[in-house]
Amino acid sequence: MKKTEIFCLLCAQPLHLVPSWKSLLFNYFPPCICDKCSAQFQRSSMPTALYQYNDAMKTYLHQYKFLQDVALAKVFRQEIHAQLKRQTATIIPIPMHPQKQQERTFSHTEELLKAAKIPYIQLLAKTTRETQSSKNRAQRLQSAPLFRLLPQAHVERKDYLLFDDIETTGTTLRHAKQVLLEAGAQSVRTFTLING
Amino acid sequence: MKYKGWLLPPAMRDFHEGRIWLREHTAFAKQDIQRAIDRKYLHIIEGIQTTPRLKCNRCHNDKPQFFTLFDCSKCQRQCVYCRHCLSMGRVSSCSQLIIWRGPKAYRRRQHPLRWTGQLTELQQQTADELLESVKARRSHLISAVCGAGKTELLFQSVHYALEKGLRVCMSAPRTDVVLELFPRFQKVFPQTIIHAYYSGAPKQDGYAQLVLATTHQLYRFEQAFDVMIIDEADAFPYSFDKTLASAVQKAKTAQAPIYFMTATPSQTLLNDFKHCSFIAKRYHNKPLPVPRFTALWRYEKSLQRGKLPRKLKEWTEERLAKNEPFLIFVPKIELLKMATPLFQKLHDNIVAVHADDAERKRKVLQLRDEEIPGLLTTTILERGITIKNVQVAVVGAESTIFTASALIQIAGRVGRHEAYADGDVVFFHHGVTLAMDEARETIIYNNKRGFPQ
Repeated sequence: MKKTEIFCLLCAQPLHLVPSWKSLLFNYFPPCICDKCSAQFQRSSMPTALYQYNDAMKTYLHQYKFLQDVALAKVFRQEIHAQLKRQTATIIPIPMHPQKQQERTFSHTEELLKAAKIPYIQLLAKTTRETQSSKNRAQRLQSAPLFRLLPQAHVERKDYLLFDDIETTGTTLRHAKQVLLEAGAQSVRTFTLING
Repeated sequence: MKYKGWLLPPAMRDFHEGRIWLREHTAFAKQDIQRAIDRKYLHIIEGIQTTPRLKCNRCHNDKPQFFTLFDCSKCQRQCVYCRHCLSMGRVSSCSQLIIWRGPKAYRRRQHPLRWTGQLTELQQQTADELLESVKARRSHLISAVCGAGKTELLFQSVHYALEKGLRVCMSAPRTDVVLELFPRFQKVFPQTIIHAYYSGAPKQDGYAQLVLATTHQLYRFEQAFDVMIIDEADAFPYSFDKTLASAVQKAKTAQAPIYFMTATPSQTLLNDFKHCSFIAKRYHNKPLPVPRFTALWRYEKSLQRGKLPRKLKEWTEERLAKNEPFLIFVPKIELLKMATPLFQKLHDNIVAVHADDAERKRKVLQLRDEEIPGLLTTTILERGITIKNVQVAVVGAESTIFTASALIQIAGRVGRHEAYADGDVVFFHHGVTLAMDEARETIIYNNKRGFPQ
């Protein structure tokens, strides 16, 4: 994952890497998508998300999660890094069901954080294999608990930040938040890459 | 008593024969696949070959920049996957590819040919030469000018090969071309199972002895075809992506001959093939329209300023006045977007198409049905389309994207219909390039050969 991309990860056009003072003096990640592709993504107005869901994002998520293109975890690493590097709360990515993770061969939330060099810990485990996207709003709002604590998990009286790729109705994050609060967390905030 | 053995599902054999397929993507039941593997009907190979160097066993890509290393949750170690053929389902070092080595599918020997058309003398001669090559199982190059009727002269040879029990593949570089060829072949071979493969193609049942596929889809086949026909062998992805050439080699059996068809053979192609046929004349026996060059200095600046260059404007107005459909080719999408509103001032219905345009098929049809006067386009429409009495202009013909073969193809859109055998091809340029000269020269040369004085 360390290599520098010479082609845009999304449109495969050659990348023109122009060194600038900024890139030399600051510890920025080298870009891995072209300007044209990055202009397609729309920043979110919400403080708890980086981007707004749109067609470009839909294509991105399809390629990343469904076609299992792990390399795309790098696309937003600079933005995620900038957002979370000064975070004092402990970051917990939303876990996948172990069986589901084996099928997909990677956990998309963890890969996003890994690519952005953001440390995280895992305290939660997913209990169901059902996806939220297969259910309608009403079904989502009244679903059984989605998460439980990991067997050896030790939830301290600290601040936690939950990280997920996309928030639509907020059910997933709400469930995870509840589990952590019940286990004694001081506060739980959420942050997502995309706001649906 | 109940039969306790295992019967090979014929559908599995029909589907997997000749294919190289991801094991997790197969549509057949897991037990059946396992049984077939136990009986050595299905052969397993690893997805990514690591020695002597990384290589994807499906698309034969070996460029390191297309491989990505990741922590695989399935095998709890680092795995590699190929990004080059990702859209067909990810091949990683822990995935298995399956190849059919079991009993062969049943091939029919009777394939009635229903074609009533008449070949011209030259077409017939070429068709006979091709048939000779098919009979002798040797490769052959057909070089025919645009609009010579290349598809028609294939029927005879394809028919012969099918009746010999050979599996035939015709591959074209673009989906549009495959979609155009499919109904034509279905009509000519009404009792043959024909499958068309392109990205987004529906599921098709049975064992197809005749396959029409985009070149990319050939990644999914291995040692499948006894006869390989490559249409428009010089076209964009084929000439650009080396793995496509290797995909052709992989998809055919080792001894299978290749038949190349092209309007613009490169020197390497001409050198590679011992047996060539040339058709320097169109089917309607009229010379090819010769492009003319017109200088359009600093057209880009002028467009940026929001003004159509005078000569271009006059040309377009003339087409509108004469009610002739027209195509205007531009080298870049940015230029297309800049120019479209300017052209729409001349006529509201002039529209633009580019590669990502979802409505591109509809727009071309509209032009064919004379619902719109003209189209602005990038090079995507350079080949495979036939519109009656169309006139063509290339704006910025000096651009590097317009290679000689692209320009010849663009000029080849004009005058394909018998009733409108002549038409205007104009290259608006900011300086004449070698490619432009070469295109014009080739067309003049072909005319000379087709119509010796």
